[in-house]
Amino acid sequence: MFPQFGATADTLSKASTMVFRIGTDAHLYDDPDDVSIAPLLDSKFDSEKCEALKRLLALIAQGIDVSNYFPQVVKNVASQSLEVKKLVYLYLLHYAEKRPNEALLSINYFQKDLGDPNPLVRAWALRTMAGIRLHVIAPLVLVAVGKCARDPSVYVRKCAANALPKLHDLRQEEHALAIEEIVGKLLNDHSPAVVGAAAAAFASVCPYNLSLIRRNYRKLCEILPDVEEWGQIALIGILLRYVIASHGLVKESIMFSLQCTGSSHSVKDGPDADFGQVKESTDMDGTCDYEFVNMVSRCYIEGPDEYLSRSSYANRESFELTGEQFTSGKSNDDVKILLYSTSPLLWSNNSAVVLAAAGVHWVMAPKEDVKRIIKPLLFLLRSSNASKYVVLCNIQVFAKAMPSLFAPYYEDFFICSSESYQVKALKLEILSSFATDSSISSIFKEFQDYIRDPDRRFAADTIAAIGLCAQRLPKMAHICVDGLLALSREEFVTKDFGFGDQEAGILTHAILSIKSIIKQDPPSHEKVIIQLVRSLDSVKVPAARAMIIWMVGEYSSLGEIIPRMLNTVLKYLAWCFTSEALETKLQILNTVCKVLVGATEDLLTFKKIFSYLVELAECDLNYDVRDRARFLKKLPSSNLVSIGQEEGTNDLPEKDLHVVAECILGRETRKVKTESFSYRFYLPGSLSQIVLHAAPGYEPLPKPCSLLLDDLNVPEGTSEIKKRAADYSGTDDYGTSSDPSDNESASDYDSQHSVAESSGSARGDDSEFTSEGNDNADPLIQISDIGNASENQNGVSQSGPANLGELMSDRALESWLGEHSGSSNPGISEQSQVRISSARISLGDVGKRVKPKCYSLLDPATSGNGLKVDYSFSSEISSMSHLLVCIEVFFKNCSSETISEITLVDEDSNRALDAADKAADVNQSCLASSDNVPTLVPMESIASLEPDQTARRIVQVRFHHHLLPLKLALYCDGKKLPVKLRPDIGYFVKPLPMDVEVFIDKESRLPGMFEYTRSCAFTDHIEELNKENGDSLFVKDKFLAICESLALKILSNANLCLVSIDMPVAANLDDASGLRLRFSSAILSSSIPCLITITVEGKCSDPLNLSIKVNCEETVFGLNLLNRIANFLVEPTLS
Amino acid sequence: MLQCIFLLSDSGEVMLEKQLTGHRVDRSICDWFWDHVISQGDSLKSQPVIASPTHYLFQVVREGITFLACTQVEMPPLMGIEFLCRVSDVLSDYLGGLNEDVIKDNFVIVYELLDEMIDNGFPLTTEPNILREMIAPPNIVSKVLSVVTGNSSNVSDTLPGATGSCIPWRAADPKYANNEVYVDLVEEMDAVINRDGVLVKCEVYGEVRVNSHLSGLPDLTLSFANPSILDDVRFHPCVRFRPWESHQILSFVPPDGEFKLMSYRVKKLKSTPIYVKPQLSSDAGKCRVNVLVGIRNDHGKTIDSITLQFQLPPCILSADLTSNTGTVNILGNKTCSWSIGRIPKDKTPSLSGTLVLESELERLHVFPTFRVGFKIMGVALSGLQIDKLDLKTAPSRLYKGFRALTRAGEFEVRS
Repeated sequence: MFPQFGATADTLSKASTMVFRIGTDAHLYDDPDDVSIAPLLDSKFDSEKCEALKRLLALIAQGIDVSNYFPQVVKNVASQSLEVKKLVYLYLLHYAEKRPNEALLSINYFQKDLGDPNPLVRAWALRTMAGIRLHVIAPLVLVAVGKCARDPSVYVRKCAANALPKLHDLRQEEHALAIEEIVGKLLNDHSPAVVGAAAAAFASVCPYNLSLIRRNYRKLCEILPDVEEWGQIALIGILLRYVIASHGLVKESIMFSLQCTGSSHSVKDGPDADFGQVKESTDMDGTCDYEFVNMVSRCYIEGPDEYLSRSSYANRESFELTGEQFTSGKSNDDVKILLYSTSPLLWSNNSAVVLAAAGVHWVMAPKEDVKRIIKPLLFLLRSSNASKYVVLCNIQVFAKAMPSLFAPYYEDFFICSSESYQVKALKLEILSSFATDSSISSIFKEFQDYIRDPDRRFAADTIAAIGLCAQRLPKMAHICVDGLLALSREEFVTKDFGFGDQEAGILTHAILSIKSIIKQDPPSHEKVIIQLVRSLDSVKVPAARAMIIWMVGEYSSLGEIIPRMLNTVLKYLAWCFTSEALETKLQILNTVCKVLVGATEDLLTFKKIFSYLVELAECDLNYDVRDRARFLKKLPSSNLVSIGQEEGTNDLPEKDLHVVAECILGRETRKVKTESFSYRFYLPGSLSQIVLHAAPGYEPLPKPCSLLLDDLNVPEGTSEIKKRAADYSGTDDYGTSSDPSDNESASDYDSQHSVAESSGSARGDDSEFTSEGNDNADPLIQISDIGNASENQNGVSQSGPANLGELMSDRALESWLGEHSGSSNPGISEQSQVRISSARISLGDVGKRVKPKCYSLLDPATSGNGLKVDYSFSSEISSMSHLLVCIEVFFKNCSSETISEITLVDEDSNRALDAADKAADVNQSCLASSDNVPTLVPMESIASLEPDQTARRIVQVRFHHHLLPLKLALYCDGKKLPVKLRPDIGYFVKPLPMDVEVFIDKESRLPGMFEYTRSCAFTDHIEELNKENGDSLFVKDKFLAICESLALKILSNANLCLVSIDMPVAANLDDASGLRLRFSSAILSSSIPCLITITVEGKCSDPLNLSIKVNCEETVFGLNLLNRIANFLVEPTLS
Repeated sequence: MLQCIFLLSDSGEVMLEKQLTGHRVDRSICDWFWDHVISQGDSLKSQPVIASPTHYLFQVVREGITFLACTQVEMPPLMGIEFLCRVSDVLSDYLGGLNEDVIKDNFVIVYELLDEMIDNGFPLTTEPNILREMIAPPNIVSKVLSVVTGNSSNVSDTLPGATGSCIPWRAADPKYANNEVYVDLVEEMDAVINRDGVLVKCEVYGEVRVNSHLSGLPDLTLSFANPSILDDVRFHPCVRFRPWESHQILSFVPPDGEFKLMSYRVKKLKSTPIYVKPQLSSDAGKCRVNVLVGIRNDHGKTIDSITLQFQLPPCILSADLTSNTGTVNILGNKTCSWSIGRIPKDKTPSLSGTLVLESELERLHVFPTFRVGFKIMGVALSGLQIDKLDLKTAPSRLYKGFRALTRAGEFEVRS
């Protein structure tokens, strides 16, 4: 009626939004760069500066790089306006790492601000300064943090605590002790807000230094309810770890319930000792799945990867919980106080706090008290949808371990239609895991509703859940089967139209559920089988049909009616064979064969049907069906006494063939042990539990009682603990043996010293505290040969670095390759353990042909005095410290005069330049204390170099970063020349020789987050191939040429160990696709293994397409290494 | 530790990125995320924790805005999710709602807030009342001021005193001429009625909301007449645990202004205020629908804004639905909503009509679930009653006000 009305309303609303937007920063976001920003930044009015900064911020928000304004912005740090300051800080923090040199300009202003009377200014300055992440200013920041940690303002102290992880993140070991000292001081603060932040800092800086906690454990527990919610989360975790490390697990808790049955089977005997059967026994509050709980608790303490891998190596007893590692929750005050102080947190408004507190009770509380976590957990389900999912993931484990806990609350897991599919699926799983005889009827009522839900995937899951419930509660089996049968007969399910997969899925799940219920007790379900067989005609979904046909074969001799039906059924199957889908065809063949093997009467008919089917199948379009038919043709012939004419079966006597047939097709299906080890459990509330793999930084609970007590009163029997504890405190435990009642400062120092070492060695970081403890530091090594490690630990620690050095050089690449060179000249030697489709190649002489790339350090033209200095990375490994990289430096005098007194020193080092006694001096200091590795172990200086003379030196260098160059100073003739040494990440690793099997095993344990791939092109081999073609006398294998050039290229650019080369056995000799080279290495500083796999695609004579894969726990390092490898592979070799 | 927070609009555009630590997260992760959302449909959208090839992602979706946080290391996932929820709460409180425009228009405030709320990936100040003192929310006055004078700072130049006190939620020493406390009971009723018409689950989720304007450092106690009906509770940090443990008394020093004092749950209620009776019968490719709505038992208060929503099953081609009261709308995504408003005295609201099924389909085999909405002012359906509210250090005059309200929460009727 009023066509213009709509338009008016539209413009009106537009106008109103325009009005609404006035006064906001809308125009800045929409057109951030419609004016030139630079002059505004230099304006003398704060408002204009503000506008410019806001424009920059808008550009940052939109993902545009505006780091080119950095110098101008930095100047404004000095502004007195707090808003300008705030905006500058926002900008600075965004770009500081990109523009480190300009960022340095702002330091003075920060230091000035740190003395400002306004605490807000001090806090901001500290936060920004610490966030800049420059190695150079780390000492300054440390001083500032130390000062702010004593600040009168709580807020500033809190920010100081938050700054500590930033400092720690720079990984400067020389500051580690100081940082930990400040953490300790802040943990002792009287303000709860500071303690919370300090707890978070503790968790990321020094989580192993539990002795810091011991000093004020009680106080921390008491202050816990007053700490801010976010700090509570961190603090709860720390307190739990401390109690377990110092007192062990609680005897009355769930975690204990099976430890005793796990170690000695006679202690508790369940109702039946059947393997795989769920042991259930009633105790004070109902049932508890002991085997499951045992697994869960072991996973908590050891981490699933370690636990599972060890159980597969079958030396499970290396970690055994003994009685001494348990304490009583009733008598131990520390445990009681922890539970007392965490229980009110179950009422917290913050769901993360509730879950963390619930986790403590789950692990530590006496069994009868665990139930207090139930209601709070269920209440969490009412919070946001996102947290609902996470909470359900955790409840799932609790409910499986102790079904009785949640069983009375089944109504809370009833499903709302508005919930997401993941939540629905989790709820179904939980419901079916704890259904009891009393609750099952109402649960089934619900399930019936769910089957009618429009979300068909969910409906199919419901049907699967019904099957699970019926298996748990055999009493319900008949009702379930009846319901499922009725469902499978319903028209909408069987009719074969429109809805495709979804309805088919429902039918398949229904049949699958019926199948699994029948399996438990076939004789009582005879009629069900008959009904199913009768419905064959109406069931059209191939998967469901195949299952029913399988049941025919499986239960062909069950009862009386089925054998009589067989004749007809088989004929029917033979009749419709040609129109069946693939899986049904295969199943028909199997079934007929099975029936034939087991049949006693009607043999002739069956044989006819069988040979008819085989004939049909042999002409089938699908090769799988044809193969199956040919295979089956031979087998049952033995059962038919008259036949035995095949030549091929001569080597197998008739009887054996029959046995084979029985084994393959026999109806005696062995009960498969429920695969309980497929579960992985991580601590409740952890990220790893949600994604189901160990996220980087995940730590299981500490080993019970692993914290060495001060008085060394460790019981005799726990030698394992002692060893672990020794591990923890490094090799020299003078610190721990000192009397704690000494004056405060001394014991302070001692304990911190020892624990600092432990944090280094246990985490396998790039700390250089104990070079000799290096062997024990690698977590992977610990898993595989834990027995060895503990046996030879004494030996290693006594013999010291020299021994290790020997070991290292033994493992060096050349010698390893050299060993093989004698046995095999360049050629292909197929080994016995080859896979079907690939052969393994070994290259003998690659090691000798490796030529590391040379870089120029000093160019004779530019330096002026004609000295030419080149360097190349050496594959040698420093015997002094695992942080040092060996570099070969070549000096050449290109001038016509003698150059004297050439030496290379660290630019920052301000030591006297007395070259003569320097080397000796440094050597001594290295031997004396390894915790202060110099940036550069100075080389022996060259007294003089005649014209055209060359000299070679090896220097050992510690790079601070694997990408940033190191600045050094070269002295010659008394002049100082600054030079830059560029690091090559390829030499930050050392070869780690291993078998292919070990390699593949390790690789499979580093999936997902730890795996990175990149692809690149490779052309080097073309030249090589062309060269070969030139002298045609000796035509080399193309594959070999490719392998050689590829391996050579990689080994010349990175310090790796060639593990294996897999060659595809293909018909096409020109197709190199599938060629695979594996290299292994370990990161120098941390010994974390780094696995590299290179797969080749493409034709031999064309540029190849390489796909490079790196598996490494250290994410950043792995990525950088990958990029490096890809880069050098692409660039052609200069010949 | 969180490394980065992204705010994505409902079309997948990255509106804002805030790097939290030195380890920068490239925004290409958002492309990865959005590609997967598109390729996997809603299943990823509703997954709060995602393991991408390089980072773990936490996501919270509010009003079309996706809050995405990245981390590379182990941390409690609920901490990330809860923090994102707080961020979205604070932002929608500051900006008066959440949508793409309002975030872009106030991006500077969003940046400033994020900077105060999280430091180096660890939450710093999340208490809304304190944040308000640090960064002024945009309001008409400040907007006008900024238009007129051309500059206005929303960054406070002093540190709120509360950050240093042992009650970090309360601003230091406010002064009011009139001392007032208002207590609201806001309840949501969750109920499930199954296909047989049986009430399977009926419970109330309630919140005690307090709006306090009190001078000085007031110490309040609040007690209930019937605390035993509470199934479980959760408290604002200001509530002292021990008095509740021993006597079920809430003792607290309130924040200044509005806040949620506690939330509670009352389970196993026996009846719902209204009934909904859907009847669906289908044959010959059609389905007849008839839904009746009425008041079950009178609380003496009027029931407002009754609505009924349901999703038509995917196998339905067309629908023709009419009602005797209120209006019926069928939206594009096959959502049918019937808004009734108040129930008239003289007749029972009913919805009836026919649905046409897909051609091959004889009968309907999946049935929709009806979601019911309503609002009742002045009554708390759980039956929870406030006994008394006392102020320990009584000022001269204290005005106390109590209200109650019940809404429908997850109220579902299956057919």
